[in-house]
Amino acid sequence: MDSAWLLVYPDAYEVGQPNQGIQILYEVLNERPATVAERGFAPWPDMEAVMREEGIPFFSLERHLPMQAFDVVAFSLAAEVGYTNLLNCLDLGGVPLRSADRGAGDPLIVIGGHAAFNPEPLAPFVDVVCAGDGEEFVGELDEVIKAWRRQEWGRERLLREVGRIPGAYIPAWYQPEYLASGELRGTFPRHYGAPYRVPKRTVSDLDSWPYPKRQIVPLTETVHERYSVEIFRGCTRGCRFCQAGMITRPVRERSRETISQMVRSGLKHTGFDEVGLLSLSSADHSDILGLCGDLAREYEGTATSLSLPSTRVDAFNVTLAEELVRNGRRTGLTFAPEAGTERMRKVINKMVSEADMLRTADAAFANGWRHLKLYFMIGLPTETDEDVLGIAELGLKVLRIGRQYGRKNKVTVSVGGFVPKPHTPFQWAAQDTPEELSRKLGLIKRRIAADRSLNLRYHQPEPAVVEGLLARGDRRVAAVVQRAFELGARFEGWDELFDYGAWTRAAAEVGVDVNWFTRRERGEDEVFPWDHLDSGLEKDWLWKDWRDAVDAGAELEDCRWTPCYDCGVCPGLDLQHQTGHLPISSAGTG
Amino acid sequence: MRVRVRYEKTGRIRFISAIDLGRVWERAIRKADLPIAFSEGFTPHPKISFADALPLGYASRGEYAELTFAAPIRLGQAVEAVNAAFPDGLAVLHAVEVAEGEPKLATRLRASCWDVTYPEGGGLSRRGTPLNPLARAVDAVRAAETLPIVRERKGSPITVDLCPAIHQISLRSASVRMTLHHTEPLVRPSQAHLALRGFCPDLPDATLITRVAQGVPVDEGLIEALSGQLVRPYPQPTQPESARHLSDQRVG
Repeated sequence: MDSAWLLVYPDAYEVGQPNQGIQILYEVLNERPATVAERGFAPWPDMEAVMREEGIPFFSLERHLPMQAFDVVAFSLAAEVGYTNLLNCLDLGGVPLRSADRGAGDPLIVIGGHAAFNPEPLAPFVDVVCAGDGEEFVGELDEVIKAWRRQEWGRERLLREVGRIPGAYIPAWYQPEYLASGELRGTFPRHYGAPYRVPKRTVSDLDSWPYPKRQIVPLTETVHERYSVEIFRGCTRGCRFCQAGMITRPVRERSRETISQMVRSGLKHTGFDEVGLLSLSSADHSDILGLCGDLAREYEGTATSLSLPSTRVDAFNVTLAEELVRNGRRTGLTFAPEAGTERMRKVINKMVSEADMLRTADAAFANGWRHLKLYFMIGLPTETDEDVLGIAELGLKVLRIGRQYGRKNKVTVSVGGFVPKPHTPFQWAAQDTPEELSRKLGLIKRRIAADRSLNLRYHQPEPAVVEGLLARGDRRVAAVVQRAFELGARFEGWDELFDYGAWTRAAAEVGVDVNWFTRRERGEDEVFPWDHLDSGLEKDWLWKDWRDAVDAGAELEDCRWTPCYDCGVCPGLDLQHQTGHLPISSAGTG
Repeated sequence: MRVRVRYEKTGRIRFISAIDLGRVWERAIRKADLPIAFSEGFTPHPKISFADALPLGYASRGEYAELTFAAPIRLGQAVEAVNAAFPDGLAVLHAVEVAEGEPKLATRLRASCWDVTYPEGGGLSRRGTPLNPLARAVDAVRAAETLPIVRERKGSPITVDLCPAIHQISLRSASVRMTLHHTEPLVRPSQAHLALRGFCPDLPDATLITRVAQGVPVDEGLIEALSGQLVRPYPQPTQPESARHLSDQRVG
């Protein structure tokens, strides 16, 4: 083999195994001649203890090869909560934590995934960052890796060649500068060939990348046991809190034919009995009913079920859900109103009226669904106690409807704390403190205390502080990540392992004021640590959308079926949304 | 159509649990495109029933399952297709159709024959030298009239006598072959290991425990449940004198 890749998902196997990014790139790389890719996952603390005691290095799942045997170690970062695990994996692998300390024999450390859109808190630890779609990028990087191995380049030369690949961001080539106030003055290229802004990668035609074709089937239980196919990438619903929707634009649909073909062959090769039609809002695929109809017909009587993660709250969703359960049972149906009052929903641009929502609930219970789950956030910009109580009220109203159709019908209200994310209209927002989030949760708890059939689920508020620090942190936060790792912080996404004390101590020791990063509302002129990573979105447009949200509570329609509002993504890509929705005259330049 | 199978679970896949194994079976049946029958009810499940669960980490060439199909299948082809669909380490070794009115599979699975393999060397055994601490311990267990073992039950320790569960025990090289009755509570090779260690305090942990077969215990060994073939104990060259001698000094 001329190049060996280790693809690491820095969380437990059961969470990382079904990850689409890893599954896709694993196949794309392994199909390349003379390239091999294996996978790795973060060891659970008991395993880590044994590995450290016995001197066992971080190793790959497939052939149990040590990390140092690979040319490239690529981490998939779906969220910020994997950062200490990333350091732990490197440390267990015997790879120097800091990029500057690595030599010619060490693997190239790469990160990608949604969290890579602000890589600054990891900047000293990684060699290369790829923001955006990885399918084409990994092939181009693989060519460079092979040349590196063939021609025995030094590290400097390797990085220079990698830096020529569009979308490759090399943190060591950039230098942040700060104002006396502590704010960032800018992140400036300090190396020949380093662009001022690094564009994200975008695959324009998903039909030409029909991966995963032969998804890897886990032998032990994982969080998603199903054959998954992305039915489209990108979302223009424009929910202002949603980082995924903003950074993955434009919308690129897979065709009904490609999807059917992928499902048919995917099920045959895996033996799964569930198909997941994935996207950020699957009900928005222009041909979703036809697609679900095709699949329901094809698998009728085979006990194959279809699942469709969807956040839409409307009657269409119930129609769709009916199509999905043709083969199976009606158990739970999930909706994400995200906020409890219409006012709050206008601010976040989740456009659904309460009347619509209650009609949807009525339709669902009338059709025999017995359990509705409703997802909400608290801590949103401009939120009042009335908005918070609105969550409980809405839950209770839906429950009353459910009761009309069956005494045992249930409603679950799930509440998470909002964390402002880079490249979104809410990137300027202040984040609520854990104390404030707890107080708001208390309001909801007291309001619904009387009703036992309304289940309330919520997350602890402290992990959101760390998530917020890492999400909008700059390069100075890297010292906190390293110190927290040294103090034993691991698995921030797991309540039972999350160690808030390690993080507050780490921040205090390295002199980083967490509140400054999380609780501060930013001004219009603030330079962000991620400004030199180009997600395609115009910062002016994001600012306007932010002010529209908080000043006017003004909503913004989906540009798939209303005129273009110039968010900036499409012109830069020479590509419009690829959907089967009826084209409308667009103000954009295409 | 009902089918009984004997299958093996060896190599790395022995580290997956019984619940995970069920899923692997279901997927293999689906990949093989076999018309498995489903249970009625709210959550239909494929009709595959497994005999007693193998402890995690144990290997086996003697696992059994009964499958019900909604339509007739050709056994040879079906076994081939399932084996092609299985991951490494799993394979159906034998399959038979169940005739109407045949007694339940469980009535045929009355004992298990196990091979418990200890590390070579380590002061235990060298090929061709049966008189060593492990051989003496095997003899002592065979000769013992009671073998009290302390085990946890619902949080409190209870004492169980292993003797009634041990049908036969024999040794070849560093491998102990034992046929254990399916008693209630069930006696596992790990408990027989504790009994051996009672006579051989330096006995290390076994490197591999393999279920050889399940079936009906007879004087000559074990009649395998599906084939009716006899699984014999290892031939025993040991002297009864040494066993008697050692059983006097047993500890624990």
